[in-house]
Parts: sequence; C-alpha cells; structure tokens
Amino acid sequence: MNKTDDQQASISKSTLLVVFLCLFSVTDSYASSQDSLQFSGFARAIVGHLDDENAEYVGYDNSLSLDQQSLLGLQADYSLTDSISVTAQVVGYTEDQRNSGLQWLYLSYAPNNALQIKLGKLRIPFFNYSDSLDIGFAYPWLTLPQQVYDTAFFSTFEGVLANYGFSLNNWLVDFEAYWGYYDDKIYLASQEIDTKVDGLFGANATVNIENFTLRASYNQGDAEVAQDEASLFAEQLRLLGFSTNADWLNANGLIRFYQFSANYENLNYFVRGEVTKMVSEAGLVADIDSFFISLGYNFHPYTLYISYSEKDLHFEHASNEIPFGVSDELDFLAATYMGVIAAFPDDQATGTKLGLRWDWRPNLAFKAEMTFVNANDKVSNDYAVKDLGGFDGQAILYQVGAEWVF
Amino acid sequence: MARVLIILLAYCLGMVQSSNAAETIIVVANTADKSIQLNRQQVRNLFMGGALPYDLDAVALPPENHTRVLFNTKVVGLTESRIQSYWAQMRFTGRKKAPVEIKNEELVVEYLMTNVGATGYLPAGVAIPEELTVLYSSK
Repeated sequence: MNKTDDQQASISKSTLLVVFLCLFSVTDSYASSQDSLQFSGFARAIVGHLDDENAEYVGYDNSLSLDQQSLLGLQADYSLTDSISVTAQVVGYTEDQRNSGLQWLYLSYAPNNALQIKLGKLRIPFFNYSDSLDIGFAYPWLTLPQQVYDTAFFSTFEGVLANYGFSLNNWLVDFEAYWGYYDDKIYLASQEIDTKVDGLFGANATVNIENFTLRASYNQGDAEVAQDEASLFAEQLRLLGFSTNADWLNANGLIRFYQFSANYENLNYFVRGEVTKMVSEAGLVADIDSFFISLGYNFHPYTLYISYSEKDLHFEHASNEIPFGVSDELDFLAATYMGVIAAFPDDQATGTKLGLRWDWRPNLAFKAEMTFVNANDKVSNDYAVKDLGGFDGQAILYQVGAEWVF
Repeated sequence: MARVLIILLAYCLGMVQSSNAAETIIVVANTADKSIQLNRQQVRNLFMGGALPYDLDAVALPPENHTRVLFNTKVVGLTESRIQSYWAQMRFTGRKKAPVEIKNEELVVEYLMTNVGATGYLPAGVAIPEELTVLYSSK
C-alpha cells in the first residue's frame, strides 16, 4: 500500500466511524416510522476454524479467526417525494479481499407498487443471493454454499435496473432487468486485477406460486481483464504464426451467466436448490458449472439444515502447437506456453454442510455450521480452497456466528 | 379405560375445534370499494409486498403479538424468523419495505379508520366499524 492508499483507507475508516456514531444517536431505527430519512443496518460476527493445517478454505486456516466474514453494513434511505428516494449503503469488511466502502448508492423511482427504476451503483443480481451476500440474517446458512457463491468476483455495477411485478390469479411474477458497466478490481489468487466489464446486462424472472418460488436469470458482460504479460506473450506467438495458442492467451471477451433456482417452504421445512453456469469466450477466463441443494427443518426458534454443493471450474486449454527441438528459442517459447497453461488449472470442489440457526430475537440470530469440503485432486489455489502443502483434499470448517439487523 | 380415553380424546378434539373458531383471522381495509374480496394467496402476497391490482397498503402487528403469530401460521404459512429474514433481504437490496407495525389491535382499527387504503389483520372477535370492509376471513 502506498501513502495515498493509506490516507484513503484511513479517511474511509474515519468516515465509516462517523456514520456509525451518527446512526447510533438515532434510536429505534429499524422498526420505526415513515420519516423521510431512515437508517438501518446489519452486522455479522463470524468465528471460524479449519481442522486441517495444510489447507485454507474461504480464508480460514487452522487458527481461530474472526476477521474473514465479520462485517458491518449501514444503510440510509431518504425519500424526496412519495415516489422518489435515494439510498446509500456502506459495508465495512474485515476480510482483506473485499473493498470496504460504498456498495449501493442509487436514486429510485417507484411511480406505483408494481414498477421500480433504480439508477446508480447497485449489486448485480446474477444469482438468487448475489445482491444479498452480506446480509447473513437473510439466509439460513452461515456461509452461503460457497461452490456457487464464490466472492472472488465483481459484484457491483453502475447503471440502471428496473423491476416490474404483477399478480396473475394466484401467481406473483417479478421481472427485473439491468444494464451498466463495471470498472474496478477483482481479487484472484490473492492478487488485485484491474477489470472492466462493458455492456453488462441481464434479466431475471421470479415466479411465486403458493409455497414455491422459481427464479431464472440470464446475464452477460464484455470483460477486459488486465493480463499484460499474457498479452505480450500472445503477440510474440502471433508474429511467429502460432495463432491458436495466441488466441487462447486472451483474457478479454464475453462472459455469460445462467441461473435457475427452485425453493419450496412451509411452516415446517424448506428445500432450496440452485444451478448456475458461467461460460466465457476468453481462454484465460474459466467456465464454471455449479449447483447446491439444501433441506431445512424448522422447530421454532431453531432451523436445522443440511446442504450439498458442487463446483466444476474448467478451462478449455489449447494444447501446445509450438514444436520442441527445433531451436532453443522455440523450446523456450513452448516451455513458457506450457507454464502458462499450468498456471490456469481446473478447480473442483464439493461442500457438504450441517448447521443450526437459532432465531433468538426477531432481529438477532445465532448460527453454528460445519462444512465438509472435498477438493479431490483439482485444487488450483486461485479460489476458495488453498493447498498450503501436503493437503489431502479433505477438511472440515467449523463456524459459529451472530447475525444482526437493526 | 378405553372409554375414558375416547372421552378424553373427544374432549380434546372439541377444545381444538372451539379454539380454532375463536382464532379466525380477518383482513380489514379502509376502502371505498366494498366489493373487494381476497383469497388467502392474495392476502399473503399483499402482506409480503407483492403487487396487487388494488391500491392497498398492508399494516402489521409486532412480532410477539398473538394475532400476528396466527396470521403467519394460517395465512402466510411461514415462520416469524423466515418472515424477518425475507424483509431483511428485501430492505437491504432496496426492493420492498416491510409493512408499518402498529402496537396492538385497537390501534390497528384506529389506524385503518384514518388511512385510506390501509389494510390490517385482526382476530374475528374485534368490533369492526361500518366504514371498514372485511376482505378475507380465514377458516
């Protein structure tokens, strides 16, 4: 971190503190009133421990840590008129792989209770919980099924989002569409990578029939991921005529996201399942197929749940077309190309969870969860599972936490 | 012995039935159109923030209130904790806001009287002023 970054960090921390203090001078905020200015917030305090000293999973290692998923979020809603309002949400993360600060800042126009249009900085509603990852109170699990919800990703965008809902007999239908761009950093393999996504748009539909909720979404964006060394190398290969390999060494191109989920819930139990798919045109950006299925049983004030999820992240590696044994230079290029392929390996994992949620107060819940992670042989170390040396591919993450909304 | 058990069982069933009758929930609104009738699913949608073809605004009772517990169980079909987590998700993703909460049943009637479109749930026994309309009654 250079000096300016340090200064910025300390400024944003002090801003957060001031906002936090202001909020606490306003009492009874969550439940209250139809005032034009409303404050609310959410907090998570999560402790985790991985039983394996040779691995790391979602940032947790063999020690006891509180600074991975714990966070504090504050929201202010200001109504300008009956139909126009402004909302800001700041989130302070303890995890160093996520940027603390403004997550939402938008102007909202809702002429009636069916239509809402938002303009500004928003969360991308890729999957069912993509725009509410931080609101642990909103979902039963302690950690969202990580094989579907990997946080090492761009999650916000700047643009416009419209939402239209209507009821048809007993069906409740909600359409959502958005368009915008992303220009910031993503965290991958503990590195910050400059990323631009233009022409980001998506549409989703949610249908609610009795106790069933179905959701499907399609999203796409033209991504430009800064990989300068790979680009230089690709140019060199292209000049020499190895265009297949040069084409593969490309981190730019269209990424498409597909999602489908089905939930059933009643007073006694719930079933939630989601299937997601990410398809990338660029060689250096992986394709990902994942899903989860969860079952829960309610016995007030407790919810007991089990969950299983799978992730299959894979690259379409273009095999080496550079001949060996012709010249030292070509041998060197071929070895370098093979090295790059090896630096973008596939990554597969499954996660099996058993957990308990205890709703102690209407706005405060405690959770305990154990996740058995199985990474087979495919650990790339770029994502949630990290092999610190000698990892046998199996570990258990134990977590307890408190979820609060106010 | 068996006879005693049967009598006991019949007695218990009777209790359950009579308590059910006493615990009917009605949904009442301040609306000019007195002909509006809603079914259970429409009431559920209204109180979960879904769009309805009528201009109605839901108001609720506090979480610990007995009428609210009955309403959750008989009409919404979800536990209080699930309803709370749903509203947390809606609020912090800027979609919808939970119904205004009013302290008790008497104040709900008062609120309905003074707010056009306001819609609340009440136990069947409560006296409903003529100006208000009953849109739904749970079985």
